Amino acid sequence: MSAPQAGEGMEGAGAKTPPAKRVPALIVTHADLAQALVRAAERVVGSIEDVTLLSNEGLSRDDLEDAIETCVKDWKEGGLLLTDFWGGSCHTCGATAARRHGEVVIVTGVNLPLLLDYLHNRDRLSAPELAERLQQKGRDSIRVQRGVPA
Amino acid sequence: MSWALHRIDDRLIHGQVLVAWGARLDPARIWVVDDGVAASSWERDLFREAAPGIEVHVASVAEAAAAHAAEAQAPRAAFLLVRDLETARRLADAGANVEEWNLGGLHYAPGKEKVNDYVYLDARDRDAAKALLAAGARLVVQDVPASRPVALGVLDPEFVR
Repeated sequence: MSAPQAGEGMEGAGAKTPPAKRVPALIVTHADLAQALVRAAERVVGSIEDVTLLSNEGLSRDDLEDAIETCVKDWKEGGLLLTDFWGGSCHTCGATAARRHGEVVIVTGVNLPLLLDYLHNRDRLSAPELAERLQQKGRDSIRVQRGVPA
Repeated sequence: MSWALHRIDDRLIHGQVLVAWGARLDPARIWVVDDGVAASSWERDLFREAAPGIEVHVASVAEAAAAHAAEAQAPRAAFLLVRDLETARRLADAGANVEEWNLGGLHYAPGKEKVNDYVYLDARDRDAAKALLAAGARLVVQDVPASRPVALGVLDPEFVR
């Protein structure tokens, strides 16, 4: 898209006011799943800001905790940690690192519909409200389509 | 049945343990043996809840050594996890009879030298490994069941027995 010209349509759809209290998110996963998820989400909604990405690749428990803490330490009013699965190092290290930093809520089992729902609601809900909603959205997104023989 | 895996892995309970080894060996119990975790009620609870459907015991080295022989007789499979070679050595010194240790993840930290992609050792690790070998234990490097198990001595001649 070309940049809008002066006096042209800046009031309407293009006008962007910074959100009052956007809930930040850190996605922590194995390998480069976090990057791939965000790349996929960007294909759907366009460029994405205020989401931090981290891989556990090659990191010990202590180093992963430190890396997560570095990402969340500036969150003033909490935020969301999205991790790939319950009981994985991304989850357990996240829980340890986050507990020193306000209302950080962890949602495990991150998938693309869940991530998109976060992006759509992060400017209007609190971190705990978002977490509840995303848990349901993530579950609801898993459905079975049975094939019908032609 | 009981002891199916004694693993040295600085991530303790995590994906490879739950998903890969868990699917292969179907443990009913996981013992997390770590004095630091055992001393923190917060971390104890975190690990107890980390493996749905599996009973997680968090124990100090002394507690685990005392319970080790009885657990060996218990029904179904059990895993034991320690975060480093030094803890494994202390557990052995305290009386736990472990024939084989799986070296599954000892990640890089300053001062540690690479043995393979997921095993890095410093002088302290090397001393503990040698003590375990001298006491008759096998040290086998293998991150997940699908990869080939290799004796530590094959990867590093310092540990040839």
